[in-house]
Amino acid sequence: MQAGNGIKVIVTMIGLDGHTTGGEVVSMILRDAGFEVVYLGVNQTPRMIIDAAIQEDVDVIGISSHASNYSQIEELVDLAKANGLDDMLIVVGGNIPREPAAQLLAKGVHKIFLPGTSGAAIVEYLSTEARSARV
Amino acid sequence: MKRETDYGYAIKPVYTPADIKGTDYAKDIGHPGVFPYTRGYHESGYRTRMWTQRMTAGLGSSKQANGVLKKYREMGQRGGMCVISDRVFSHCIDPDHPLGRKEAGILGWPGCSLLEFEELMEDIPLTGQSITLLGSSAPTVMRLAYVVALAHKRGIDPSEVHGSVMESPFENYFGQTDVQPFDLNLKLWLDASEYVVRNKIRMRSSVISQHFQESGGNNAQAIAVVLSMYKELCGKLVNERGLDFDDVALVPYELVSIGTRFFEEVAKVRALRRMWARIARDEFKAKTEKACQMLIAVHTSGRTMTYQQPLNNIARCAIQSLAGAMVGCTAMDNATMDNAYAEPSALAARMSLNTQHIVAHETGVADVVDPLAGSYFVEALTNEVEQEAAKILKKIDEMGGLIAAIDKGYIQEMLRDEANKKFVEMDKKERLIVGVNHLEIPPEDDFEIPIQKLHPGDSEAIADRMAAWKPTRDQERLKATIQQLYTDAQKGDRFNLMPSIVEAVEAYATSGEVIGTIRKARGLNYDPFNVIECPFALH
Repeated sequence: MQAGNGIKVIVTMIGLDGHTTGGEVVSMILRDAGFEVVYLGVNQTPRMIIDAAIQEDVDVIGISSHASNYSQIEELVDLAKANGLDDMLIVVGGNIPREPAAQLLAKGVHKIFLPGTSGAAIVEYLSTEARSARV
Repeated sequence: MKRETDYGYAIKPVYTPADIKGTDYAKDIGHPGVFPYTRGYHESGYRTRMWTQRMTAGLGSSKQANGVLKKYREMGQRGGMCVISDRVFSHCIDPDHPLGRKEAGILGWPGCSLLEFEELMEDIPLTGQSITLLGSSAPTVMRLAYVVALAHKRGIDPSEVHGSVMESPFENYFGQTDVQPFDLNLKLWLDASEYVVRNKIRMRSSVISQHFQESGGNNAQAIAVVLSMYKELCGKLVNERGLDFDDVALVPYELVSIGTRFFEEVAKVRALRRMWARIARDEFKAKTEKACQMLIAVHTSGRTMTYQQPLNNIARCAIQSLAGAMVGCTAMDNATMDNAYAEPSALAARMSLNTQHIVAHETGVADVVDPLAGSYFVEALTNEVEQEAAKILKKIDEMGGLIAAIDKGYIQEMLRDEANKKFVEMDKKERLIVGVNHLEIPPEDDFEIPIQKLHPGDSEAIADRMAAWKPTRDQERLKATIQQLYTDAQKGDRFNLMPSIVEAVEAYATSGEVIGTIRKARGLNYDPFNVIECPFALH
């Protein structure tokens, strides 16, 4: 069995951020590892992402962030809580400085993948944590 | 570890005359200043004119960006200024739009009205230096209208201003995204380009491989993509707008991304000059030398700036700047050591600009034109990257040009595959990056550098200012110009909207209002995000 079998992940940009390469590369890595990936693309608001997460019944939301959309990621975490999506992981990948990264983790983001993270590390984290979150 | 070019050609341990056997100096290389310009356009290189050394500015309010520009001038940046737009202006919505409110002034300058441009340029000359405004394609007409409007206000003939404020519609596919549809961006780009040609305004448009390459494309692909952009866009200006190719060829400029693989970067630019010269002469029947000379500026690669051990980026930037200088560029702007964190801090900006000054004044590179010419290795690499790029370009041509190739998904797929390949190569340590996948150190041992902090309240303040300012404008004049624009925008794609856009901008219409009105005239929603309604009663 592949690591990602049975796990459904949204990969998305948030706000007006157009730096899509990272999110697209990660989508490919996850698909290759057997995850079901729903790639939402650019110009997604926190509300749109949460609506998609509910509709698609995903296990994980992965935000690809090229700096600066932190307040919108926080808004997303609040919206997930308000919608009772407690067993869903929210992870963020991108070049996020240490201070805002710590703030996002304190806010309730489950994991931040910084530049240089290997594909294997992302796959391992998601396959382990998404399953245990659902138990 | 891989010993091959980024486009997959093996690199040998040694190069000899046998590797450039078929190369004819006069025909394929030529003296500097002589066709096919492999060695550049000026016979005495930087001795005639030093490249423009500049840093990109833009963060926070227009007044803050103005302060940064003045600071850069104090640091010796006199030849030109370069400002990048925030995402709100890049999309052509306004800061007081619900989505704009969160990102105004973030990652760039919030240039959504002439007022912002006036504040940006306060006490900064519009002439005597090149004015470069970067962003995405959609605001091309706005940026051009600002320059024309401010020139009028300052009593300057717009033809005395030079620089680059337009941007090709293709960048939308390569990470420089805006929300506007391609056909609209293309139409407005053609309008702006036709306007500068007919009015003899020396404004260029970026038609560039930089975004493509920073998104993961390789050197050969980058050459093919930029050449196909040039062919497509120049072709349209000639065939659809009835302009002369020799004038049209002076509109675009190329910004190449220079990475750390020194010799390959040098070869890329040399090959690019040669290929364009031949296309301009043979396919477009250029009559002037200028039309065969692709204007090339250099951006040292932000993509290569690492999050880990950011001080190492100073070394990378120096190597890339040296390569950029060696290829004979017109202008250079640098990535900064903190590029993987935030917009440049004052320290990082000074460091990067000084890197250019060191390369320019201490290394001797500026004394000799194209110093690597004749190197068996560099000439062989130049031939090889040309050969590979020509293959890709041929494929694009066979598909019917770049627009057709994009419609078929060919370019997007090529870029996606290449970005994945680059990631896998790094993941498998086939390409080493010090501090990232080689010689890593624990984060706690890493150096701390100052990081330019974002203040979320700044965006709200920019939005509030605009919301409060909008009703203070001359409403009658504004409405009249917007109505005129709406009427003109229904006259078909070939009807040039620049004159009515300039009128509207002079009446302080915002980017959201101008582009929204044009959208509405074309049967689209006023607001590309479909959140707000058109504030004007248009008929």
